[in-house]
Amino acid sequence: MKKIVLFMLLVIVIMSVVGCSQPDADKKAMVIVSFGTSYADTRELTIAATEDVFREEFGSYDIYRAFTSQTIIDILEERDNIKVNNVREVMELLTKEKYGEVVVQPLHVMNGAEYDEMSSIIKEYEGNFNEVKIGKALLSSVADYEKTVEALATQFPETKDGEAIVFMGHGTHHDANAVYGTLEYVFHANGYKNVFVGTVEGYPTLDNVINELEENNINKVTLMPLMIVAGDHAHNDMAGDEEDSWKVRLKEQGYEVETYLHGIGENEEIRKIYLTHAKKAIEGENE
Amino acid sequence: MIKKYAIKTWMEIGFIIIITLFIARPWIEKGLNRITIFDTKDYEIDFVDDSGYRIRMKKPADSVISLYSAHTENLFAIGADREVIGVGTHSIYPYEVLLKEKYDYRSDPEKVIAIHPDVVIIRPFIERHSPDFVNSLRRSGITVVSLYPDNFDEFDDYIMKLAKIVGKENTAKKKLEGFHKELDNLKVKNIDENKRVGVYFESSDREYKTITNNSMPAYAIELAGGINIATDAIPIEEGSSIAAYGVEKILEKADEIDVYVTQRGVMGAGGNYHSISIRPGFYAIKAVRNKRILEINQKIISSPTFRFIKGVKQLRRTFYPEIYDEIQEFDEDHLITREEFAKILVKLNHDVIFIPTSSYYRDDNKEHYYGALVDVTIEHESFDYIETAIRKSYLKSEIIDNEEYFNPEKYVTREELARVIYLLNDLENKIDIIINDEENIENIKIVKTIVSNKLMDLENGKFYPKRNITFEELKKGLDL
Repeated sequence: MKKIVLFMLLVIVIMSVVGCSQPDADKKAMVIVSFGTSYADTRELTIAATEDVFREEFGSYDIYRAFTSQTIIDILEERDNIKVNNVREVMELLTKEKYGEVVVQPLHVMNGAEYDEMSSIIKEYEGNFNEVKIGKALLSSVADYEKTVEALATQFPETKDGEAIVFMGHGTHHDANAVYGTLEYVFHANGYKNVFVGTVEGYPTLDNVINELEENNINKVTLMPLMIVAGDHAHNDMAGDEEDSWKVRLKEQGYEVETYLHGIGENEEIRKIYLTHAKKAIEGENE
Repeated sequence: MIKKYAIKTWMEIGFIIIITLFIARPWIEKGLNRITIFDTKDYEIDFVDDSGYRIRMKKPADSVISLYSAHTENLFAIGADREVIGVGTHSIYPYEVLLKEKYDYRSDPEKVIAIHPDVVIIRPFIERHSPDFVNSLRRSGITVVSLYPDNFDEFDDYIMKLAKIVGKENTAKKKLEGFHKELDNLKVKNIDENKRVGVYFESSDREYKTITNNSMPAYAIELAGGINIATDAIPIEEGSSIAAYGVEKILEKADEIDVYVTQRGVMGAGGNYHSISIRPGFYAIKAVRNKRILEINQKIISSPTFRFIKGVKQLRRTFYPEIYDEIQEFDEDHLITREEFAKILVKLNHDVIFIPTSSYYRDDNKEHYYGALVDVTIEHESFDYIETAIRKSYLKSEIIDNEEYFNPEKYVTREELARVIYLLNDLENKIDIIINDEENIENIKIVKTIVSNKLMDLENGKFYPKRNITFEELKKGLDL
């Protein structure tokens, strides 16, 4: 009898321990991951505004924010007393909170180095949840390119002959750098002949873009960032007034230059693409 | 039994002594350095450094590794460029240091030990940050000198210690004399009390820190004729030049702040123009409303170097542009040189003088590098104006046989003026006019637009792009 009682007690203890560490199937979290920015104004207009759209669309999910740039996380914490989690921290937090389902939607432009790094961190935590799903970056499928082209076209000013739009992308050493050339190709294929895409740190370079501008007898250029936020790159590398900024380099070649200082995170149609990617991830279409 | 007990006790005592000596090794080493009674040799150099070590050297060092950029800069300034055989990873000034071997106190000390320089010069921060690195150097017999002046009053003493190490005392004395004389000349004296500008200096945007009253930036503000509105700031710790202030106190004095100066160039420094102007409540600050926010590189305002003069000059220009950015008048037919042009443009646009940070040289694709001009060295009277004009792309340098030239005495051409007018204005391109000497013009779009907008004229239908410009033409083109 004594043995049976002891055995029953043991079973209860084991069950309760196991029960405690099990995720709660009803708890669902969605993490919106981006590089981050220390500029409060563009952060509100892009990242925070996109999160609001996700909150509206995915009412049953708790929305969490994570940045991939530790430098920006540190600046925000030290300077503004704003705590933002990195990807690892947010996964730890969700584990602690016993979420059953976790959907991670990055606001990256491409499935590049940051996307890979983020995915590998998330994979380490897969066992802690019933389901973990990762949405794709903006430019993943052919349909994404088509939709992105149309989304970006909504922010174009009216252009005449001899006028062009030039996007400034970041550029990367990763294979995914090919997205920039592809995006420009799709712009042209869809009739936006005078739209060109260059990068700060990858290929095509601004020199490549200038060659295209010359070939197409362009006279006036509107510069736009192909980045979620309009942060340092947009303010300095694109629209700054020093010798190496794109604005100055184009002006000294005799181009009229306008600048559009808004991250693509402000573009409602771009946000919709990210929403679609999150939905697809939930439906398991990425697998 | 007694004998056995004694041995054990002695062993224990011996063990304790060995452990104690081992633990106390750094203090013992430091102490031995100060003992002189056992050493009767004559030392030409004998002083106590800022980490408390007694430094004794029989003769000046012939090979020095300087691990702090300000020391490096000052050693070059007093003529010890040959003696400096290695520098820290952040050293970028003067330009010649880029050719020196780099050493990092955050990595293996063996790289330094292998070279065995006569002296390694550090600052107390390095001693605190990397004690193992520094102790390894000391143990290997290298003389390590730790220096850092806490405030401006200690600057001369600090420079003279550096000079002693490398035997350049005469040059250093002259340099200091010239430095103080120049500061005296720079002192803004003739401003009415009611016209003096109120200044807030942001040393860090973390908790809105400012500077103490005896700090170098506070002295610079005073010399430049400004009134520091945060003299009631309390140092974050005794002896520190950083002071706590806080957003409430800044906003309390919003109307007194005519100029908001923010120190840039290192992590954790002040905010930039954009981030300051969008802070909640900051629009109440007069300087923010009037767009009088100055971003200044900490190297010329907080760092103990001779470049402090540049910081004071910049503050004067920002505080009183009507005086210090006044453009020199010339006769109408005076031909403008490139040096004069650079000066006029920087003053006209109130451009902040360009001071690079260490990341600047990481880009190996630049057409021009700060400090690389053969004919405009750091000693050149217009060095800052010329480097800033190049940075702003007003003028270009010329490369001949891998060397960069600015040609300051050359006259400015009409096409160069047209290019600057185009850069400085947002003009609509008008290219439907005919210019008869089009074949001689490098950028026809720019010239046609300038002529169409009547900012420059044609003569008999020709532009004459290579002709030199007079002061009269310049005034018309730039709307002076």
